[in-house]
Amino acid sequence: MLAENRSRRLVSAMVAAGIAAALGGSPVFAQDVVKVGAPLPLTGPLSPEGLKQKRGYDLWAEVANSKGGIKAGGKTYKVEIVYTDYASNTPRAVQSAERMITEDKVSFLFAPFGSGATKASSAVAEKYGIPMLAPTASSAEVYDQNYKFLFGTLTPNNTVSEPIARLVTEKNKDVKRVAILARNDLFPLAVAQAFEKAAKERGLEVVTFERYAIGTMDHSAAITQMRAARPDWVYASGYINDLILIRKQMNDLGLRPLVLTMIAGPAYQEFAKAVGPLAENITSMSWWHPAVRYKGKDVFGSTEAFNAAWAKKYGGEADYVEASSAADGAILQLAIEMAGTIEPRKVRDAIAALDVETFYGRVKFGPSGQITSLEPPVFQLQGGKPVVLWPDAIKQGELRFLSR
Amino acid sequence: MIYLQIAANGLVLGGLYACIAVGFSLVWGVLNVINILHGTFIVLGSYIAYFAYVHAGIHPFVSVVLAGAALYLLGHAIQAGFINRVIAAPVLITLTLTFGLDLILNNAMLVAFTADYRSINLARPLGSVEIGPVFLPGDRVAAMALALLLTVLLYRLLRDSRIGRAIVAVRMDREAAALMGVDVKRINAITFAIGALMAGAAGALLSIIFPISPLNSATFLGKAFVVCVLGGLGSVPGAMVGGLVLGMVESFGSYWMGPEHAVTISFALLLVLLFVRPSGLLGRRGYE
Amino acid sequence: MRHWIALAILALLLAALPLAGNNYLLRLATIVCMYAVMAQSWNFIGGLAGYPSFATAAFFGFGAYTSAILQNQGVPMIFGWGVAGLASMAFAALIGGAILHLRGHYFAIASLIIAEMLREIVNTTPDLTGGGMGLNLPILRLSVTAQAQFFFYAMLALAVLCMAVAIVIHHGKLGFGLRCIQQNEDAANMLGVNTYAYKTAAFSLSAVFVGMAGAIYASWVNYIEPPDVFDVLLAVKPLVMVLLGGLGTVYGPAIGSVILLSFEEFVWRNLLTIHAAALGVIIVVLVLFLPNGILALLRERFGRRGA
Repeated sequence: MLAENRSRRLVSAMVAAGIAAALGGSPVFAQDVVKVGAPLPLTGPLSPEGLKQKRGYDLWAEVANSKGGIKAGGKTYKVEIVYTDYASNTPRAVQSAERMITEDKVSFLFAPFGSGATKASSAVAEKYGIPMLAPTASSAEVYDQNYKFLFGTLTPNNTVSEPIARLVTEKNKDVKRVAILARNDLFPLAVAQAFEKAAKERGLEVVTFERYAIGTMDHSAAITQMRAARPDWVYASGYINDLILIRKQMNDLGLRPLVLTMIAGPAYQEFAKAVGPLAENITSMSWWHPAVRYKGKDVFGSTEAFNAAWAKKYGGEADYVEASSAADGAILQLAIEMAGTIEPRKVRDAIAALDVETFYGRVKFGPSGQITSLEPPVFQLQGGKPVVLWPDAIKQGELRFLSR
Repeated sequence: MIYLQIAANGLVLGGLYACIAVGFSLVWGVLNVINILHGTFIVLGSYIAYFAYVHAGIHPFVSVVLAGAALYLLGHAIQAGFINRVIAAPVLITLTLTFGLDLILNNAMLVAFTADYRSINLARPLGSVEIGPVFLPGDRVAAMALALLLTVLLYRLLRDSRIGRAIVAVRMDREAAALMGVDVKRINAITFAIGALMAGAAGALLSIIFPISPLNSATFLGKAFVVCVLGGLGSVPGAMVGGLVLGMVESFGSYWMGPEHAVTISFALLLVLLFVRPSGLLGRRGYE
Repeated sequence: MRHWIALAILALLLAALPLAGNNYLLRLATIVCMYAVMAQSWNFIGGLAGYPSFATAAFFGFGAYTSAILQNQGVPMIFGWGVAGLASMAFAALIGGAILHLRGHYFAIASLIIAEMLREIVNTTPDLTGGGMGLNLPILRLSVTAQAQFFFYAMLALAVLCMAVAIVIHHGKLGFGLRCIQQNEDAANMLGVNTYAYKTAAFSLSAVFVGMAGAIYASWVNYIEPPDVFDVLLAVKPLVMVLLGGLGTVYGPAIGSVILLSFEEFVWRNLLTIHAAALGVIIVVLVLFLPNGILALLRERFGRRGA
C-alpha cells in the first residue's frame, strides 16, 4: 500500500512538473542578432542527412561571425541559428517551422530535409512571408505552388539524369539496354523517371523499370528480374542504405552490367566505405563536388577556401548536402547585404534578383524559386575515390566500364 | 528457369526469416507476451558483432556466442525488472509496456550509435555459389545454415533438458505446470532470456547481410509477426515453416506483382490467415 | 445532467481561446482537440469493449486520404470531411467483420496490420493518391490567423461532438453491453447480448470521428504523405492517453490528451535527442505504477464521488 502511494505521488509530481514546464517561456537576448530557423531531423531515419545540413549551417555561421557578422544598413548582425529536432516526422517539421516564426521570432528559415518536408513547410513560410532557403529539395513538384518565398539550391532532377545519359551513350555505342530500379519515394522516383526519359531520348531501350517499397530489406526478386532482361546499364535510385544493399545483392546474384549508376548514395564517403571493393566504377551525379573550382563574392570567397574551412572544422571533405546547406547561409548573407536590411520581404526580393558567383557555383533562381544556374557534375568512384567526368572544365578522369 | 532462382531466393530469405522469428515465437507462445523489443534486440546483436569485428577482428559467426550471451543477460534483466510485474495483465498492458521499453532502448541505441548505416565488409568475403542457372549468395546461405543449427539446438533443448520440458509445460498449461512444482516465474525469466539470446544470435548472423542501424528494428519485428501467425506460436518447427512460406510468398509475389508490393502481399497473407486459421499452419493455438 | 453542463462550460471556455491572440497556442489547442477525439474514439473499442485496437492510425489515414482525394476532384472541403467520416465508419464495419472474432493479441496485431496495408496500397496507387510523393490539398484563401482560428474551431467542434456521443454511449445500453462484453464475452453472449453487433458498433464508432479528424488535419496542413498519416505512433498515443486519464471513463481521454501534449511540448523543447525515450519512460511508468489512470488517482485522493 505504502509503496503504491509513493509511486502515485511520484507520478502526480511528474505530471504537475510537466504541465508547468510546458508553459514556461524562453529567455530573450539583447544584441543585434539575425535569427534563422532550421528545423532538422536530428533523430529518426533521416538523422544522418539532418546532421549534414547542420554541419553546413554551423560552418557558415561560424565563418560569418568570425568576420564580424553580417553588415546591413549601417548595423552589424550576429548570426544565430535556431534548431529544433522534428524526428524525421513531416507534420512536426511544419509545426516547428511555425513555432520558430511565432515564438522564436526568426526572420528567415532554412528548409527541413528532403522534398516532402520542404514542400509541406513551404506553405507556412509563404503564409507568414518568411523567406525559406531549401538545400535538399530537387524535385520540381516542390516548387509548383507559385510561392514567392521559397528558394531551392538544388537544380531539378533532370539535370542529374541527362548529362550522364549523354556521356555514356557517346562513349560506348554497345550500351543499349537499361534496367531501372527506383525507390517508391518522392525524390528517388522522380529522378529515376527523369532518367528514363533521358535514356529513351537517346535511343536506349528501357527493359525493366521496377519500384521497391520503402524499407525493403531484400531486393533479390527485382535483381533476378533485371538479370533476366540482360541489361547493359543498371540505374538504381534510393537512399544510402538501399543502395548499399542493392550493390551487394547485385554481386551475390550475378548481375553484372557494363555501367552501374546509383543516385544518391555514392556522393557520400560512407557509401564507398560500406561497400568496399564493390564500389569500383559506380557512376553517379551530384549537385556539387569538392573538385569544382569557383570564385565568388560570398563569405567563403572560393571553393578552395570553403574546402579548407571545412577540413579545418570537421576534417575530410564536404558532400553536396553539406555544401548546399552552407551555400544557403552564404546566399542569405549576400541577399541581406544587398538589401541593406534584415526585413524579410526586402531580403526576399534581393534573393530573387541574385545573379552571382559563389563557392558553390553560379547562383540564379528561376521564376519558381528553384536554382537554374548549376551544372551538376558526373563522377565515378575509381579506387574508392570520386573522380569527376563532366563538365569538361573540371574533368579529372575518363569513364570506365565494369568488367563482365 | 528463372523460377529456380526465384525459388532459391525465397528459400534463403525464408531461412533468414525463420531465424529472426524463432525467439519471438517462443516468448509469445510461452509467456503470452508480444515482445516489441525483439527487433531492437536483433539490431543490438548486429552491433555487438559489428564492433567485435571492427575493433577486435572477431568474425561475426563467432560473435553469435558473444551476442547471444549479452542479450541473454539483458533479456533476463528486462524480464525480471519490468515484464514480470505485469505477467498476468491483459494484452493491452503487456503490449504497451514492451512498446514503451522498446522506445527507450531504440532511442538509447540511436544516441549511442547514431542512425548511420554500418556495414561489415569481411576481409575474405564468401562470394557466390553458382549451381547451374542459380546464384546462391554465400553469406546468406552460411547464415541460414548456422541459423538452422541454432534452431535445432533450441529444439533439442526444449525437448530433452529439464528446463526445456518445464518451458513446454508452462506453454501448454501454466496452472498445471505450477501444480506440478514448476517455478513459473523462473521459467518465464529464462524463456524471455532465451528469446533475447536467439534474437541477439540472429542479429550477429544477419550483420554481414543487412546494413546495421536502429532504424531496421521495426522491419525485423514486422517479419517476426507474420512468421509467427503463419507458423503458429511457441513452436520451433512452426517458426521454420512460417519463415520458409513467407520467404517463398514474398519472392514469388515480388516477381509476379512487382517488388513494391512485397510488403502488402505478406500483410494480406497475414490478415487472410488470421481470418481463416489464426492458430497458424502448424496449428498450435496461442492464448486467446 | 451534470455532464452536459460540464461539457457546455468546457466548450465555451475553449471557444474563447482565440482571444489570447497567439497562433502557436491555437495550434497546440487544435492538436489537443485532435488527440482528444482520437483518444475518446479509441475508448469505445479499447476502454469499454476491452478490445486492444491499434487501428486508429488506419482510420486517420483513411479519412485524410479520402477527403484529400475528393477535394482534389473538386468536392467542397466540409463535404469532404463528412464523407471521410462516413467512409471510415463503413470501412471499419467492413474490416470489423473480418477481425472482430479475434481476441487479445491476434486482434491487436490484425488491427495494427490494417494501417500498414493501407499505407502500402496508397504507396502503390500513385495516380490516385500521389503514392510516395504525397498529396497536396488546396489552400484556403484566408489570412494566417483566420486559418488558425478556423481549423481550431473545426477540431473543437469535432471534439465536442465526440464527447457528447461518448456521454450518451457510456450511460446507455450500448455502453452497458460493451462493459459486459469486456467482463466476460461468452457470458454476455449467453445472456442475450448481441456481441457481434455491439462490437461492430463500437469499432465503427472508433473510426467515424477519427476519420473526420484525419480529414480536417489534411486540410489544415495542406500536404499529406503515407508515413505521416499512417504513423504507428498515431495508434499508440490514443491508448496512452486513455490509460493516463482512466480507461473506460468519459473524461479520461480528454484529460489524458492534455497531459500527453503538455509532456510532448516539454520534451520537444528541452530533451531534443531523447524524446522517443521520454515517451517510453512515460509509458513504462504509467503501465507499472498507474494502470488505472489519473482519474482513479484523483478519486482516491479526494474521496469517492459519483461517476
